[in-house]
Amino acid sequence: MTSEAVSYQRYVAKVALAVAAVVLLVWTVFPFVWILLTSLKSPGDIISVPPTFFFTPTFDNYAALVIGEQGGQYSSTRPDFPRFFLNSMIISIGAVALSVAAGIPAAYALARFSFPLKGVLGFVLMSFRFVPFIAFVIPLYLIYQQVGLYNTHVGLILAYQLITLPFTIWMLRSFFMEVPLEIQEAAKIDGCSWLGVLGRVILPLSLPGISVTVILGFMFSWNAFNYPLMLAGRQTFPVTVGAIQFISYEQVLWGQMAAATIVAALPQLLLSLMVQKYIVRGLTMGAVK
Amino acid sequence: MVYPFGLGLYYSFTSYWLQYPNRFRFVWFYNYVDLIGEPLFVRALEFTLGFALVAVVVQVGLGLAVALLLHARIPGRAAIRALMLLPLMMPPVITALMWKIMMASTNAGILNYVLSFLGVDPVNWFGSTQGAVVSVLIIDTWGNLPFVALILLGGLQALPTEPYEAARVDGAGPAAILRYVTLPLLSPFIVLAVLFRAMDSLRIFDVIYATTQGGPNDATTNLQIMAYQYSFQWYQMGKGMAQAIVLLLLVVIVSYLLMRLWNRASESAT
Repeated sequence: MTSEAVSYQRYVAKVALAVAAVVLLVWTVFPFVWILLTSLKSPGDIISVPPTFFFTPTFDNYAALVIGEQGGQYSSTRPDFPRFFLNSMIISIGAVALSVAAGIPAAYALARFSFPLKGVLGFVLMSFRFVPFIAFVIPLYLIYQQVGLYNTHVGLILAYQLITLPFTIWMLRSFFMEVPLEIQEAAKIDGCSWLGVLGRVILPLSLPGISVTVILGFMFSWNAFNYPLMLAGRQTFPVTVGAIQFISYEQVLWGQMAAATIVAALPQLLLSLMVQKYIVRGLTMGAVK
Repeated sequence: MVYPFGLGLYYSFTSYWLQYPNRFRFVWFYNYVDLIGEPLFVRALEFTLGFALVAVVVQVGLGLAVALLLHARIPGRAAIRALMLLPLMMPPVITALMWKIMMASTNAGILNYVLSFLGVDPVNWFGSTQGAVVSVLIIDTWGNLPFVALILLGGLQALPTEPYEAARVDGAGPAAILRYVTLPLLSPFIVLAVLFRAMDSLRIFDVIYATTQGGPNDATTNLQIMAYQYSFQWYQMGKGMAQAIVLLLLVVIVSYLLMRLWNRASESAT
């Protein structure tokens, strides 16, 4: 091959890579851009043919989310979006707090001690990753109806443990195991009990790991849809179930739905940039670092 | 956690029908046997398996391409990598609603508008049986392609450099290097991506629920949607639970086989 042919080939390869990168970028980002635009459109602009990119932006859809007006006509069955947002906050924070409180000792035990049935316990925890939610939600629904946990924040926080607790334990375990054994041995020689080792050595040293676990756990709780769909009522719907309410009426409120999806996605967009290095590790429960 | 599950397992052997509590009987395997003769179950089973197969092949194939692209030194690589996390961490149901807005079948739908420039006639996304299946696949792929790509990218970046130098010395071209060096070394990561995607796509629920609700004509009804319909629309808890258990067994079997494959791949790659 002549050197010209080689450089020509390189040039083609470069262009091909650049085109592929642009396609990937558009595929990833365009839906966000379009929904953002839709959320700023008036009903007339939304149904305009062909779709318009240039229009007078309006914040009506966002205002409607907060006060619940639908283009002038007030609907008594309007989705109460501010409440859904608050519900999501309460349930997600509660679920993560409970999981971390219960998960720290469990993760420590799994990381450091050997005890009978340890392998079984680890497997049971991992298996929650592949159990179909419907297998849990049917009995939970029946139990909750009987004991009065249906449509309560506490009931949802407990149900969310199916999502957050196994995740928290596995993540914390993988972070705890990264704390060098020598430091722990040294602390023991200095007179620390195993509780002291956990409280004074492991927890401070794995604080970054714990923060990552908390943020990811919060995000998974925020994303939850299946459990609250069946176990929550209108007073306790989180945003995920709330956003779908914009289609169940006589018409689809496209603009408000777009605004609701933006608001529901916002915490995820901000948090995922904060923990970007750890997301894959979290999603695979520590299998990939 | 074990108690509700045990209770559910017990219910799957009963004729529990919420509206007729006095018909509650222990019926052994009647619910399971009954499923075999149920046409909807056969179709839901086919759709569950077929969808998972296609979704895994499409997502892992494209994910590998994206990972190789991001591994090459293209400008803006870090930015694209960060932006790809956004679809990944979106609530799937919100993703579904976003695409539902874009896939409006009227001429105002942006996707049909863009496709019209490529000479494609307006697609009836959620209204036709084929359109609905393709729509669910597109939405699921948008949300999960980054997951596969990032796992494989992580794998690519962790690969040792010596085999590459050896291959280059032997005069191997880029295609041969990809085929004989990269893919074998990457295989544990590929199997891992397949494992996670298979587990999740066998159980896909929220995207289908938010877009097609299993329709039209049950074209997008998988086992999870079917179990939901039986238990929460018709309140036949026993039957719904039996379907859930069948799905669970299916997921366990597939995961078990893939985990064994993963162990073997990890051993042979190191």
